[in-house]
Amino acid sequence: MRSAFAIAAVGLLTACARLDHVQIGDIDQTQGNLTPFTVQISEFGIEAAAAAEVGRIATKGQASQQFQEIRDILTLMNMGPRTGNPVYDDSYAEKVMEYMYAECPSGQVTGLTSVREAKGFGPVSGEIIRISGYCIR
Amino acid sequence: MFKKIVASLAVAASMTGCVSLNSVSLTQIPENRNHTITATTDSWNLLGIAFSNDFVDEAILDLKSQCPGGKVEGILTKHQTTAYFLVFKREVIATGYCKKG
Repeated sequence: MRSAFAIAAVGLLTACARLDHVQIGDIDQTQGNLTPFTVQISEFGIEAAAAAEVGRIATKGQASQQFQEIRDILTLMNMGPRTGNPVYDDSYAEKVMEYMYAECPSGQVTGLTSVREAKGFGPVSGEIIRISGYCIR
Repeated sequence: MFKKIVASLAVAASMTGCVSLNSVSLTQIPENRNHTITATTDSWNLLGIAFSNDFVDEAILDLKSQCPGGKVEGILTKHQTTAYFLVFKREVIATGYCKKG
């Protein structure tokens, strides 16, 4: 029963979308043709305490107790303000500039929309940075 | 038991419509601020479970369409969430100034 509940809970949260931040930049439609582009960077994020919680619900007896202890330790370790799940590469956002230049070699861009979002799959997630805008050609 | 249910519903109803502001951003404000335009897009979900954030993209298309051939500057973007009973509304509200010519 508990295992079924855990699996159902994970299934329910599968592909859940989270939106953290939206920023829309100035739009200049006077310079010529605007070609839309989108660049997206995603990094693997994990909520380790949630993973341990799934383990706790899915098991019984001593194993469940051990998962609970692990969950409590992980929760304490990851306390504090944050946006989304922790990731292991703290510089993944920096690639966005080179991807943008690849999409718009002229470098003349307008209407930049910066979105910080995530797609969650139970305790793991894709921590996404999505930049869309228009290239002036 | 009945009293507890009524009390729970009363508490839930009193919390309905609470808004949380998730993010705010502002771009350079122009000197000429005569023509204000606003675009609002939203997405409703149950229990906070959403499957897509595509509604965000509609805001910029709306702003663009309200200022054809012009510049939209001084854009204030708000991303907020309104909590109703078990249901949530996520909104992006963008306000800016259209400068034509």
